[in-house]
Amino acid sequence: MNFIDIALASETASEETVEPTGTVSTGPLADLGVNSTLFIAQLINFTLVAVILWFLILKPLTKKMAERQKMIDDSIDNAKKIQENLNKSEKEYQNRIDQAKVDANKIMEKTTLAATAATEEAKIIAKQEIEQLVLQARKSIKNDKDIMKAELKEETANFIILALEKIIGEKFDASKDKKFIEDILQKLK
Amino acid sequence: MIHIPTLAPEILFHIGKLPVTNTMINVWLAIIIFLIVGIVIQVNLSFRPGKFQNFFEYILELLIGYFDQVTGDRKKTMRFMPIVGSVFFFILLSNWLGLLPGTGSIKFGHDMLLRPATSDLNLTVAMALVAVISSHLFGFISVGIFTHLNKFIQIGTFIKSFKKGPIGVFTGIVELGVGLIEIVSELAKVLSLSLRLFGNIFAGEVLISVISGLVSVFIPAPFMLLEVLVGLIQASVFTMLTLVYMTILTTEPHAEH
Repeated sequence: MNFIDIALASETASEETVEPTGTVSTGPLADLGVNSTLFIAQLINFTLVAVILWFLILKPLTKKMAERQKMIDDSIDNAKKIQENLNKSEKEYQNRIDQAKVDANKIMEKTTLAATAATEEAKIIAKQEIEQLVLQARKSIKNDKDIMKAELKEETANFIILALEKIIGEKFDASKDKKFIEDILQKLK
Repeated sequence: MIHIPTLAPEILFHIGKLPVTNTMINVWLAIIIFLIVGIVIQVNLSFRPGKFQNFFEYILELLIGYFDQVTGDRKKTMRFMPIVGSVFFFILLSNWLGLLPGTGSIKFGHDMLLRPATSDLNLTVAMALVAVISSHLFGFISVGIFTHLNKFIQIGTFIKSFKKGPIGVFTGIVELGVGLIEIVSELAKVLSLSLRLFGNIFAGEVLISVISGLVSVFIPAPFMLLEVLVGLIQASVFTMLTLVYMTILTTEPHAEH
């Protein structure tokens, strides 16, 4: 019974199509169910679907995706620039460090030379000062020696005088001393 | 009794003079679904997508990847997107809506209330026409009106061929004939696109109706799963072919040797 129904259904489908306006149309297109009113209605329906799909779903999503893609690209570009700047800075830093080392070495060399020169100069000055000190010391020693000699002479004279006084037994004062000297001088004459 | 869908969609009622068919109900259902999805996306559209937006972005990204393989250029893909994207999602949803419980079983009077929209030749012809006409419009915009028309009506080439001697004239006549064949092939594009989609979905609908009529449980399940696949494949085929037509017609013709 089912198969009979199927056969009947297929036959009725291929016979004729009633237009929505009421007219009966025949032919291959009508057999397939195509008619102008339904076609236009479905065209409008599809246009509506396309408009809704594009303006409400596809366009906003693709726009947002493009924006996100742009942001990602920009971020990657920025990251690359930052990396480049970092590399550049590191290179510059290394160059400056190297330059600083070279400068430091130069300064060290100069300092060493200056220190050597200063040491030599200081040695010469010290030598001269030592020589001067030695000379001064010698002078001082000589002076002291002279003073000591003079003091010794005076002490010796006093001692002789004291000894003579003891021997003579008389205290010499200035008048006596003068008289004694005059007597000796007269005797000598 | 098994109810086999007829080739023509059943008219359920009239709004004024406009007949409303069961396939139209499915189209309106699709429109409502797209409208809801669109509003939800618009409201929640964010730079950091949520799960819902992420899901659609993933599908779209996947689709754009496939489209790029055909067009070979992202800019072209995005130019064709309003047509091909709409065609793909609409066909896919319409095909899958036809598999929902209720399609073919809920009655409105003596007729089925729901029927897959793409099993209506009026809709598939409308979509095929939109696809082919828009491909020509893209062609006019991309390569210029005369260059594009010269692909079909090669009168310019034919006139120029007179300067090249008898062999040149013969080549010109052949190219003129080829141009005419190209015109026929454009009509064939509309026919093949619309009939392929209609035929596959209608056949699937008939198959499921018959199987469901014979055995109502378990047995129709594999066929329905097969129809899920058919729905996706047919949506892809229609979209890819549209994209191919658009890509070919927006490509500059080879220079004359």
